[in-house]
Amino acid sequence: MSTELRGLNLSYRYSGGKPWQAKPATAALTDVSLSVGAGQSIALVGSSGSGKSTLLRTLLALHKPHAGVVELDDRPARAGSVASLRWYRRIVQYVPQNPAGSLDPRMTIQQLLQEPLHQLRVRGDHRRMIQEALERVELDPAHVRRRPGELSGGQNQRVAIARALVTSPKILLADEPVSGLDLPLRNTVLDLLGRLVTRDRMGLLFVSHDLAAVAQLCQRTVVLSSGRIVEEGETARLLKEASHPVTRQLIAAVPGLPAMSESAKHTVMADSQSSYNRSGLHGRNGTMLLQP
Amino acid sequence: MLRCPAFIKITASRTLAFGGLILLIGLLPWLSAQSPEYTVLRARYADREATDEALGAIRAELGLDQGPFHIFLGWLGGLLRGDLGTSWISNTPVGPGTMTALGVSLTLMACALVVAASVAVLLCIPAMVRGLAGKAARDSGAAAAALTSLPEFLLASMLLVIGAVWLGWFPPYGWQGIHHAVLPALALGVPAGGLAGRLLSEAISAALAEKWTTTWRTAGAGSAAIGAAVVRRALPSVLNQIALIIIGLTGGAVAVEKVFAIPGLGRTILGAASAQDIPALQAGMLALLATALIVGSLATAARYALLGPALRSGTMPMTPPVRAARRWDAVVPLTCAGALAAIMAGGLMRDPFTSSHARLAAPSLLLPFGADASGRDLLARVAHGSMSTLGTSLLVVLACLAIGLVIGMFPLAATGPVEVANAAPPILVGLIVAAIIGPSAHGAAIAVTLVGWAPLAAHTAALVQEARARPYVGILPVLGVGRVRTLWRYILPAALPSVFRHAMLRIPGTALALAALGFLGLGPQQPAPEWGLILAEGINYVERAPWAILAPALALALSSILAVSTASLGKYPLRTRRYPAPARVKAR
Repeated sequence: MSTELRGLNLSYRYSGGKPWQAKPATAALTDVSLSVGAGQSIALVGSSGSGKSTLLRTLLALHKPHAGVVELDDRPARAGSVASLRWYRRIVQYVPQNPAGSLDPRMTIQQLLQEPLHQLRVRGDHRRMIQEALERVELDPAHVRRRPGELSGGQNQRVAIARALVTSPKILLADEPVSGLDLPLRNTVLDLLGRLVTRDRMGLLFVSHDLAAVAQLCQRTVVLSSGRIVEEGETARLLKEASHPVTRQLIAAVPGLPAMSESAKHTVMADSQSSYNRSGLHGRNGTMLLQP
Repeated sequence: MLRCPAFIKITASRTLAFGGLILLIGLLPWLSAQSPEYTVLRARYADREATDEALGAIRAELGLDQGPFHIFLGWLGGLLRGDLGTSWISNTPVGPGTMTALGVSLTLMACALVVAASVAVLLCIPAMVRGLAGKAARDSGAAAAALTSLPEFLLASMLLVIGAVWLGWFPPYGWQGIHHAVLPALALGVPAGGLAGRLLSEAISAALAEKWTTTWRTAGAGSAAIGAAVVRRALPSVLNQIALIIIGLTGGAVAVEKVFAIPGLGRTILGAASAQDIPALQAGMLALLATALIVGSLATAARYALLGPALRSGTMPMTPPVRAARRWDAVVPLTCAGALAAIMAGGLMRDPFTSSHARLAAPSLLLPFGADASGRDLLARVAHGSMSTLGTSLLVVLACLAIGLVIGMFPLAATGPVEVANAAPPILVGLIVAAIIGPSAHGAAIAVTLVGWAPLAAHTAALVQEARARPYVGILPVLGVGRVRTLWRYILPAALPSVFRHAMLRIPGTALALAALGFLGLGPQQPAPEWGLILAEGINYVERAPWAILAPALALALSSILAVSTASLGKYPLRTRRYPAPARVKAR
């Protein structure tokens, strides 16, 4: 049976000020339903403040929604104690915004990757799992003794992804993992995520406001605005026939996208396919050789 | 979402701590183990016999026979009516005297604050200048360490001798005008400013090493603008500390007020406690409490105003934990350790107890440090004293570190107890402890521990709050890391180096607090060779025989510099030296 993460009718409000202050609560999510299955890549787009991060936190069972339920294969995941959610965290993992900042500068790469294996009580050969996770993100396993401060920003980015992959999750939630990366590095990370979906059959929820990245990576796209899903569908179709003003606005922000013809789109897809195939390219010393 | 519970927790913590303290103060007459009726009988009716009947009458008059509830409620009722009580000794209301003393102390505090602020700014200038010039941070070093370790009563006595006796520029004692305040303000402000300056310059160096300063510079911001922003960034993390230092000034004033005979609050409380005039003691402690409450609230408000949004939304910039190593790191501690070891090696074989020399004999080849007022060998006394003074203060500091770390881990709940413990001068707590278990070396150690954990807890609390706002702590729940492990594995390591260093910085201060208690007869008793005792004895003869305080002062200064420089060694992990610079692999 293939794994599926579902959020059903999720609503969430941020409370206002102090109890005695008559400040209304802000609705961050209203009746949002969303599902990600193995082998699917879903993009969650929307401008800042549209509720993307709140939806992610809810799907990660970091806080209780005021209404609705998050389920993994019909088993509900409710925010609660760490122990009660281990089963869920082993299967659903997360790449945060600013991944490099999410690494404790005091720990070695080995310790950083060991932590989820140990804390989520994953059985098996941890050393081997760490090696494999590092290989999946094309990072030299010799780096395990180093600390984040001794690696480059791009390497740290990959360490953070490796940490999410180390427990062999089935579903990956990524919160703007390529914002703030330079173009070659961005493409490497996108290729990497794409391969996880196509080759390893993982489910990916890719949160972004970067529609170019979304076009390259995701089969389906969900558009969020003011805490509601305003539009969703196949990415290629959505980009061509966007109906909602928010979607149009987002598309207009990416030069070249709206005018893109069907044939041009194929070129883009083919390009990204070919860069998947290039993924075997490693330099010596574990550095990536990237082409512009 | 988070705001409301935090606010409620802090308020609850404060209410409980202050409520408990007020209960303790109100119950003092009942708790006092050394039946106060004798003291009162002596003070008021010197001619009367201490018969059971007379004592009973006094007990009834003071209301001591009515049980704890009645005593507390009676006192609280009076308090609400604005009646602070009636002195047991002079039988006059204590309110007016306490208010006058509070006014004097606040004036002295204000003067000392001006001095402290100047000293702190001076100490921060090097860190700021180096940082703005793009150089790596450097410790403010031995000078500042020595400044913070100068005991207030040693400094006060030295200033008294130099400024008032030798130079004759300032009056030696009394409280009649602003020129009376100069020397006490210096004695009080310099150590406080030294400590605040060190903490602040450390915070400034850390802020200057953060990435946003580079962004600002690239964007064309001038040094002045960056400097101002760095101060704004650095202040919040040390603001709680500075508030505690300010509150501590009221307590620290006891020794200074005593040396300069200033009729302030500290001296009033000390007098009331030693005379067992408990209503006066209660009134004085209430005044201290009110001051602490106001200063603490102001600091909290300022901290939240400066840092609030960043604390809540998890956007604190990263502080790089590792700094460049320096070549001469080991020289200062080794020198100090060597000098101390030489004193110990020279003195431990000699006899610290026999009066075999001329009184106050000057230093000579045979008697390197001279002799004290009883003709005892000072080298021997200082060497033997190093064992008991440093040993006890090390134990006390470690106990304080443990307590401070544990309590500081819960920043919101810790607020109240920290403010309470810190506003209580060790001398005062020493008197209370001595009243309960009698004067002893243990009593002094317990008293100093009871108040000594507070600054460490406050420091930990500030660091913990910052660490919790970091992204790498925010992601931990997703990795399955529980609360205990988050504290133990992530937050503690982030806080420990700074707090440990701070604790080591407190060793000399702790030694002096112990010494001050010893001087008041609440610690180790004569003829024990203890630095504080030796120092206190020597102060009486400082004009005739300066060497009598020189030897113990030297030993204290050496040990404080040793403590500070050793602790700063620990900040540079050896591991980082293996990889000189992070290899930045540029994607081409």
